Amino acid sequence: MAHAIKFHPSMALLEQFAEGTLSADVALAVSAHIDLCPHCQRLNRDITADMASQLEKAAPKGSPTDWQDMIAAIVAQPQLAKSAQPEPVQAQPIRVNQREFVMPRALQRLAAEHGKWLQLGGIATAKLPAGAGHHVSLLYIADDTEVPQHTHLGLEMTLVLAGKIVDENGEYVAGDLLINSPDDTHTPRTLAGQDCLCLSVLSAPLQFKKGLTRLLNPLQQFFY
Amino acid sequence: MLNSARLARHDGGMTPSPETNVPMSTSENTSSQWEDALTFVALQRDQHAYAELFSHFAPRLKAFGMKMFGNEQQALEMVQDTMLNVWKKAVLFDATRGCASTWIFTIARNVRFDMLRKKQSRKDDICADDLWLDGEYPEMEADDNAAVWDSHLLMDKLRPHFDKLPPAQREVIEKVYLQEKSHQEVSDELAIPLGTVKSRLRLALDRLREALDGARN
Repeated sequence: MAHAIKFHPSMALLEQFAEGTLSADVALAVSAHIDLCPHCQRLNRDITADMASQLEKAAPKGSPTDWQDMIAAIVAQPQLAKSAQPEPVQAQPIRVNQREFVMPRALQRLAAEHGKWLQLGGIATAKLPAGAGHHVSLLYIADDTEVPQHTHLGLEMTLVLAGKIVDENGEYVAGDLLINSPDDTHTPRTLAGQDCLCLSVLSAPLQFKKGLTRLLNPLQQFFY
Repeated sequence: MLNSARLARHDGGMTPSPETNVPMSTSENTSSQWEDALTFVALQRDQHAYAELFSHFAPRLKAFGMKMFGNEQQALEMVQDTMLNVWKKAVLFDATRGCASTWIFTIARNVRFDMLRKKQSRKDDICADDLWLDGEYPEMEADDNAAVWDSHLLMDKLRPHFDKLPPAQREVIEKVYLQEKSHQEVSDELAIPLGTVKSRLRLALDRLREALDGARN
């Protein structure tokens, strides 16, 4: 690894991600982090295998079902041929401020359909078509730029996709996942000669009623 | 990954087994009955093997769906869609990449996720294919994480946190670190694959690391 990712999602987040119970926008940020982080790739693989083995070993409960019709309907269907595996698509880079960025796998499809870039000073944002709320966006910060103080009702997740950003607490590089609650006040900025592209996910507080404090944990550093 | 020995073993024409017939794989490299069954479904449209798989997994998948949908009709729709994918895509299953149960679980999870999103009538939206890579990442981190944490000194600090681990992980970590058993011994004792012992250990260590960090802050 050329650089160390220091800010990872918590185990609770990774477990909900593997289980498929995380809200989709938060799951998208976690997924893109995993694409960038071999450590969490391994954790995600292990968690998934563990959940699957628990499902396999679980005692079946609930009323018995007569499955014969379903089995018969399924085996009457044709099967895929070996050649049916889809070709991997070549990712198109995203262009902003005369710069090109290649997206992590999780964002490739959605980023290709991003909305118009809205520019304000050295900062540009473009929404991704991710649900009705439209609170998933790309955030580009030109070099030597301060992100103005902003408030929001829910949690703010920021995944650094390229470049570097710093704040009072440290510096964040590609793959670092930051989660800020409404109470956090911090002033992120880029340094001279180093711009930054992030994925930003803003979530309504309602989605976090359960386990809010657990979700806030991820700021811990794995390696110190 | 097929070899003739496994083919021969299945040639007798097995009847669908009852659900109590849980595979007892004790080694990482010995494939369990479900990997074999999937291979036969893929190569020979083996309906017996498929019925075996189906009768084991369908009731468990139904329970998995009920948890999320709270509705039998949708849970059954999820089972049907999942098991249809298992039938159709059996040829894409690669036993070198993981267990049959993991493959089936991820299909069910993805089907369930997309059903929920559709129910909320959202178009042009995040879908399961965006979130979960179908396959394996090329550069997996080396399996050296546990070794770094393997010290008695550290264990003394971690021990108070054992109680908070999920039972399956706690069982493994206690056997390895308190009773000082080898991974293989634990695998034999609990009748779970060696890989599962290792992954539970790693998960437990990551949880403990989080607990330690929490205690420091």
